[in-house]
Amino acid sequence: MTIRNGHNAMLPYLGKLVTVQDMAPEIKLFGIELLNVGSAQFADYQPGQFAFVSAFGVGEAPFGIASTPERGNVLEFAVQRLGAVTTEMHELGEGDIVGVRGPMGNWFPMEDFKGHDLVVLGGGIGGAPLRPVLQTVLDHRADYGHLNILWAARNPSLLLFREEYDTWRAAPDTELHLTVDEADGEWEHDLGLITDLLEKVAPAPKNTIAITCGPPIMIYYASKVLQKLGFEPKQCYATLEARMHCGIGKCGRCNMGEKLVCVDGPVFSIAEAGRFLESYL
Amino acid sequence: MQLISHSGLATWLDHLAQETTLIAPRNVDGVLLYRPVQSSGDIVWDFVRPVLSVKEAFFPATERVLTIEKTGQQIRLNETVPDGERVIFGVRSCDARGFLAMDALFANTEPVDVYYTTRRENTALIGLSCNEMGETCFCTSTGGAPDDPTGMDLMLTEVDDGYAIQVITEKGAALLPEITLQELAGEIPQPVLNDPVPFPPMEAWPPQFNDAYWADMAERCLSCRICAYVCPTCRCFDVRDEPLPAENGSQHFERIRCWDSCAGEVYRQIAGGHNPRAAKGDRMRNRFFCKFYYYPEQYGPVACTGCGRCVDACPVNIDITEVMHAVQRLAEVEP
Ligand SMILES: Cc1cc2nc3c(=O)[nH]c(=O)nc-3n(C[C@H](O)[C@H](O)[C@H](O)COP(=O)(O)OP(=O)(O)OC[C@H]3O[C@@H](n4cnc5c(N)ncnc54)[C@H](O)[C@@H]3O)c2cc1C
Ligand code: SF4
Ligand code: SF4
Ligand code: FES
Repeated sequence: MTIRNGHNAMLPYLGKLVTVQDMAPEIKLFGIELLNVGSAQFADYQPGQFAFVSAFGVGEAPFGIASTPERGNVLEFAVQRLGAVTTEMHELGEGDIVGVRGPMGNWFPMEDFKGHDLVVLGGGIGGAPLRPVLQTVLDHRADYGHLNILWAARNPSLLLFREEYDTWRAAPDTELHLTVDEADGEWEHDLGLITDLLEKVAPAPKNTIAITCGPPIMIYYASKVLQKLGFEPKQCYATLEARMHCGIGKCGRCNMGEKLVCVDGPVFSIAEAGRFLESYL
Repeated sequence: MQLISHSGLATWLDHLAQETTLIAPRNVDGVLLYRPVQSSGDIVWDFVRPVLSVKEAFFPATERVLTIEKTGQQIRLNETVPDGERVIFGVRSCDARGFLAMDALFANTEPVDVYYTTRRENTALIGLSCNEMGETCFCTSTGGAPDDPTGMDLMLTEVDDGYAIQVITEKGAALLPEITLQELAGEIPQPVLNDPVPFPPMEAWPPQFNDAYWADMAERCLSCRICAYVCPTCRCFDVRDEPLPAENGSQHFERIRCWDSCAGEVYRQIAGGHNPRAAKGDRMRNRFFCKFYYYPEQYGPVACTGCGRCVDACPVNIDITEVMHAVQRLAEVEP
């Protein structure tokens, strides 16, 4: 009787936690290996896509996928403890079973970015969904031009992926700029907002793509600074966060105007998202 | 067209109630709702529309989507897709029109929602025309009519000696009673209509986005969300896990989805406390833009059937028809 074309999109795939690492206070990096059927679905997910992770018994929540399939079949998520689901996830350890639905949403058009210089702006936990962009560029370094990474957090201990900075810096034609809002005497990098750092580094807009993820207010002001530097809205991309309960365009939660962040995004060019940004603040 | 007598209809409904699950308007502790009935005697005949729309029979207020069994580190999931065939009697045209909106989202946009579509496939709808429109009804302004058979399998309209039966689909034809029906003599009477409300076209909406009107009209909104709760086309839901009694040393949970509404204060609040629609005006604007602009833009159909339920239910008399008037006026001032 029932017509079922394929998988019930509300039903998670099961996966096993294979790594759980402390990354920063209240932030852990989870590595998940999908069991059976799910792994085929995640064979070729793209930088910028996200997934819903279930901590069974509490619920599920969306997270940017912080890995690339090219580097292996373990899905990584950097998760900040904030509420019910994320707190339960932080209680889990290696060997525990979680649920994963996805991959969801659109992605950064990495193919179109080839041959361009890139400026990547990551603020706080917003750095997590940008890691696959960095990994893709680093793994195909010759395909892309100059890479400028501007990385920010409230304080040095909250900077994401610290153990990877040396690799990023060592890559050809790649710069890493760090800034924090507050730091003690040992901090050797910038102090202040990522937008101040952006004005200071002042990347040239010619043939350059800017990519950003972070709190809404940061995306809004970063896009203003980029435009001041001469970037056209269509050269600037952001991955946006909205509250979500389904990730598949059904629950209605994530709309920005007539766009649904979960299916029309989360990646938007500022040319597309610009008219929503103000009402998103 | 065929005619069924009052007694013939009662016998037929009694038969359907025996054969299958028959859902019809019935009184539940003083509230009129679409609920299973045991016989035609349980059915309420004289009504404008039930308090909740027939949507809840397809997309329930709270619905289990799966159960979770946790034993040590092991997890077992059971999908809980509904089964069982049903017939719903006494469906109003406005509610059937709601399926245009619901189907466009849940059935015709990938990924298909298996819970909703399974219920749609397993259910037949027998409509009952309204002889006159209720005080707050405005279905004729949103594309419908009190006797519109769109979305029904059979449509009944009261005539002098019984009900005229229009067969709309094969599913409907299969339900017809085995007794021979009389041919209807004469015409079906026309329903009595209310004056129409202006229906601002889609392009009338975007220019009004930043108008001060929204903050102003929403000022008295209590964010109680009953407007969405009664609505045949509101589709927003929340998902969460709830504990069930433990069994054989395993923990059990159910994952449920339940109705929610964009009028709620923390509806859009994201991690870290940021809330892009903290202001009531922004939330009410979203509600009405969704009905008349976002939903048609995304899926085609308008997300208001003119049933008037939200007009009746709102404790502070926020009236969607006044909003339609206002947007029409604003659009005429600054086209
Ligand atoms: C596309 C996308 C990618 C994301 N990527 C990451 C990531 O890589 N790492 C990370 O740590 N977080 C990420 N988030 C945010 C993460 O989804 C929320 O922190 C999480 O949902 C909070 O769930 P909770 O049950 O712990 O919190 P709750 O107990 O539900 O509430 C705590 C706070 O989180 C808010 N919240 C609840 N549900 C959501 C939701 N679905 N989306 C956003 N906020 C919500 C609440 O309003 C409240 O302010 C992302 C969100 C989206 C939409
Ligand atoms: S019913 Fe009225 S008061 Fe309640 S949320 Fe809707 S508009 Fe606001
Ligand atoms: S918005 Fe109001 S009038 Fe329109 S369908 Fe929903 S409840 Fe009925
Ligand atoms: S998260 Fe449900 S519609 Fe986008």
